[in-house]
Amino acid sequence: MFSKRTLVSETGEVKNHNQKYPYRLNFYNIPPIEEITTEEFEVFALDRLQVLKAIESASLRSKTELQVADHIRDISNQYLPLHSTEGAKNYPLEEERRKDHISHFILRLAYCRTEELRKWFIKQECALFRIRFIEENKEERQAFLNNERLYWNDLTQNEKESMKNELSQANPHIKFNDETFFIVNFEQVPDLVARRAVYIKAGKAYVPISEQVTLVVVEFRKRLSAALDLASRAFPSIDDERILPLLNNINQQYLGKAYVFNNDTIVDKVTADNVDQMVGHFPLCMMHMHRKLRELHHLKHYARMQYSLFLKGIGLTVEEALIFWRKSFSSITDEKFQKEYAYNIRHNYGMEGKRQDYLPLNCNSIIMHKQPGPGEQHGCPFKHFSEDNLKVFLTQTGVKKDEHLKAILDIVKGKHYQVACTKYFEITKCLEDSISRGDGERHLMETITHPNSYFKQSVTLSKINNSQNSK
Amino acid sequence: MDSKEDEAATPELLSFFYSRIFPFKTYVNWLNYETESNNAFKNRELSFTLASDAYIRYNSYNGEEDLKTEIMKMCPTKIDIGAIYTIKPKDKKSMRLSAFRPVEKELIFDIDMTDYDEIRTCCSGASICHKCWKFMTVAIKIIDVALREDFGFKHLLWVYSGRRGVHCWVCDENARKLSNESRAAIVSYLAVIKGGAQVRKKVQLNRTLHPFLRRSLRIIENYFEDIVLKDQDVLGSEENWSKVLNCIQDDEIIKKLSNKWNGSNSKSSVQKWEELVNELEHAASVSGRKLSKKAEQLQICKLEIMFQYTYPRLDEAVSKNMNHLLKGPFCVHPKTGRVCVPIQPDDCENFDPFEVPTVSSLYQELNLYIEGERKVQDYEKTSLKPYIKYFDNFVKGTSKEAREKNRAQVSMEF
Repeated sequence: MFSKRTLVSETGEVKNHNQKYPYRLNFYNIPPIEEITTEEFEVFALDRLQVLKAIESASLRSKTELQVADHIRDISNQYLPLHSTEGAKNYPLEEERRKDHISHFILRLAYCRTEELRKWFIKQECALFRIRFIEENKEERQAFLNNERLYWNDLTQNEKESMKNELSQANPHIKFNDETFFIVNFEQVPDLVARRAVYIKAGKAYVPISEQVTLVVVEFRKRLSAALDLASRAFPSIDDERILPLLNNINQQYLGKAYVFNNDTIVDKVTADNVDQMVGHFPLCMMHMHRKLRELHHLKHYARMQYSLFLKGIGLTVEEALIFWRKSFSSITDEKFQKEYAYNIRHNYGMEGKRQDYLPLNCNSIIMHKQPGPGEQHGCPFKHFSEDNLKVFLTQTGVKKDEHLKAILDIVKGKHYQVACTKYFEITKCLEDSISRGDGERHLMETITHPNSYFKQSVTLSKINNSQNSK
Repeated sequence: MDSKEDEAATPELLSFFYSRIFPFKTYVNWLNYETESNNAFKNRELSFTLASDAYIRYNSYNGEEDLKTEIMKMCPTKIDIGAIYTIKPKDKKSMRLSAFRPVEKELIFDIDMTDYDEIRTCCSGASICHKCWKFMTVAIKIIDVALREDFGFKHLLWVYSGRRGVHCWVCDENARKLSNESRAAIVSYLAVIKGGAQVRKKVQLNRTLHPFLRRSLRIIENYFEDIVLKDQDVLGSEENWSKVLNCIQDDEIIKKLSNKWNGSNSKSSVQKWEELVNELEHAASVSGRKLSKKAEQLQICKLEIMFQYTYPRLDEAVSKNMNHLLKGPFCVHPKTGRVCVPIQPDDCENFDPFEVPTVSSLYQELNLYIEGERKVQDYEKTSLKPYIKYFDNFVKGTSKEAREKNRAQVSMEF
C-alpha cells in the first residue's frame, strides 16, 4: 500500500518514519482511501465506540480531568491504542494510527444523520482529541500544528511586559517569563471567557500557551462540525447494502440514555389531587420544589419547567396538570393564570408553539444547566444547596442517623451528586444493610440518572414491600 | 415608588403619546442599521401587549409608515423587540419551520430591582426609592465599563425600564452577530453572584483577582459604605446582620461578633463593619495560619461580602439566547406612566427615576406650550426633548458604523 521510509539521522540512528501518519494527532481532514474488510469495518467502529462511551460516562461521573485521562488511557490501550512517536520501537504505530483514522471516519458516517447524534459525536471526539493533545509532548504538538499550518498571533516580548500585571492576575498559576500568549478574538474561546480564565481587552483574549489546547480544540470542533454537516447531506446517496446494516447496528449499540416518556405509567392514576400523596416517592429535587410550591403558592420559570416535566413523566395528563397548577397558584386570579401560566404548561405537553413533546430532564441536565439564582428553587439540592441547608433538608426528610448524614455529605463534597442521591434513596428506603456491613463502596442500585427513574424505583420498591407484608 | 392612579397610562394618553411623541423615524432607523430597502427592519420581530392583556408575537413591518399605522391602531401598552429573522416574522406560518431562524440580535441585559430584595432593607418587590436606586448606578457603571473595555463594544444604549430596573442594548454589529454560546460566555464572565434562595454565601473569590474583578472592586469600594452600610444599614438589626455574618465561614467569629453586637445598640453599621473587618484580619494573621487555605479564605471574605451586597445582579436568561424579546425604549410603563428613557452611563449617578417624564406630564406640557416663532417638533416642547436627542445621537452612531461597514464591504468586492 505505501512504503515505509527508513531515515538515517545525523547521528547515524536509524528511524522508521511513517510517511502516511507522521503524527499521533489527527485532524481527520482527509478520508482514508484504501480497502478494508467488512469485519475490520465493524470491529474498528465498535472499538472506537467503546472509547467514546467511556469518555461520556467518565464525564457523567464528574471525575477530575486527570482521572478521566487515566481512565481513557486504560480503555484506549484495550480497544484503540495510540502511542506517541517516541514509542516507535515498541508499538506498531502505523497500524494504530490507521485504525484510529479509519474508525473515526466510519463513526462519522454512523453519527452524521441527526442533530442529536452529531452533537453527541462531536462532544466525545473533542474530549478525546483534547486528552490526546494534552498527553503529547511540546515538540510533537508544535510539529503537528505546523503541519496543519495552524498559527495564532502572539504577543511580542515588549507587549507582554507592558501587560504584565493584568496577564499575571488573570493567570496567577503560570510562570510569566516563560509563557507565550496568543491573541485571539474573545468569541473563539468562549469557555475561557466564561470561566474568566484569560485576560481580555478590547475584544481580544490573551491566551497563555498552557491553554493553547482550548484554541486547538475549537479548531478541531469547527472542522468536525462542518464535515459532519457535509456527511449528513451525502448520506442518503449511500446505498451499499453491506454498509447500511453495519452503520445501523452501530447506532443501536449506543444512542445515549434517554428517558422515554411512555404511556404505561407505573402508578394507577396520577391526578391533580393525589400528587401530594406521591411526594414520598419523589427525589429531593422534586420534593423541594413541591414543598416550596405549597409554601409560596408560586414557582419561578425553571422550577416550573423542571417540576412540570417530571410530573408529566409520572403520568400527570395535561388536563390534570392545568388543574394542579391552577390550584397550587392559589393567590392569583383565573385570568392571570390563563394569561401567564397555562400556555407554558400546555407547551410542555407539546400542545403549543412548535409542538415539541419535551422529555423530563435527566440528572445531568438538572445538575449542569442553569444554576439557580436569587429566589429560584430549581436544580439539584445535592449540588445547589449550601451544606447547612442540605443537612437540614436531609434530616427533615428521613436521614436521622449521624453516620448516614456524614456519608451523604462526604459524597457531596466529592461532587458526586447523583451518587449522593442514590445513597439517600438507599438510606431512606431502608436498603442500608450493606452499609452497616461496612462495604460502603458497594451500591445496591445503579446510580440514579433520572428523577423519574428514582420515582419509578421507589414505587416499585413499595409495591414489593406491600406485597411481602400482605403475605 | 407608589403608582398614583392619575399617573397610570390610560388608553387616551397612550394614543396621544404614539401620535405626537413616539420617535418612529429614529426607532426604525435604529433597528434597520442602514440596510437597503429596510431589509433588516422588515425581518425584525416586534411583539405587542395590548390593553386587553393579549400578547401578539411575530409582527413585522415594512417601515416607519407601516409601523406607525399599526401602532396607532393597536395602541400597545408594551412593545418588545425580538431578533432579525431569515424571513419576515409575519410570514412565519407560511414557511417551513426550519426556514425561520434568528439571524442577528443585539446583546441585551436586564437588571431588575426585585433581584436585590434579599439585600435591600428599604423596599421590596415592585417598590423603589432613591436609596436602593443607587444599586442600579453601581450596576450600570460596572457593566458598562466591562462591556466597553474588556469586550470592545462601543454602541451601548442603557434604558430605564419604567419602574424598577434598567436594560442595556449592545448594538455593535459584532455584538448582534454573536452566537448563543458567546452570549452565554459573556454573561458567565460578568456573573459573580451565584446561588439560589437556598445558598447563603453567593460569592466565591480567589486570592488573586482577575483584572475585571479588580476593576469592579474599585467601583464597589466607592459606593459600599454609602449604599450598604449607611443607606441600607445592613448591620443595623439582628435579622439583617445575621445574613451578613452567615457569609463568614468561621463559627467562632460569627458568634463573637453576634455577641458583641447584641450587647450594644448604639454602634452604627459603619462601626460594626470595621469590627467585622478587624476580626477577620486578626483571625487570618494568627500565627501558624498565615499561609494556610483558611487564612486565605478569611482574608478574601471581606471582599466577598462587599461583592454580594453591591455587585450587579443580572437576569442571565435574558442575555443568553438570541430569541429573547425585551421591551424597547420609549415605551410607557402602564402602571407608573413613566416613559422608558435612555440613561447616559457616564452620568448615571445623576439619573433620578422619579424625575422621568410621565405620559400625563407630557400631555400637560404640550397643552401649556406657547407657540413661538420657530416651528418645533412636538417632543421638543416637552421635558422628553433631551432624551430623544440622546437617542437620535446614539442612532447616528450605530448608523455610521453600519455605513462604514457597508463601504468596506463594497470596496472588498472589487
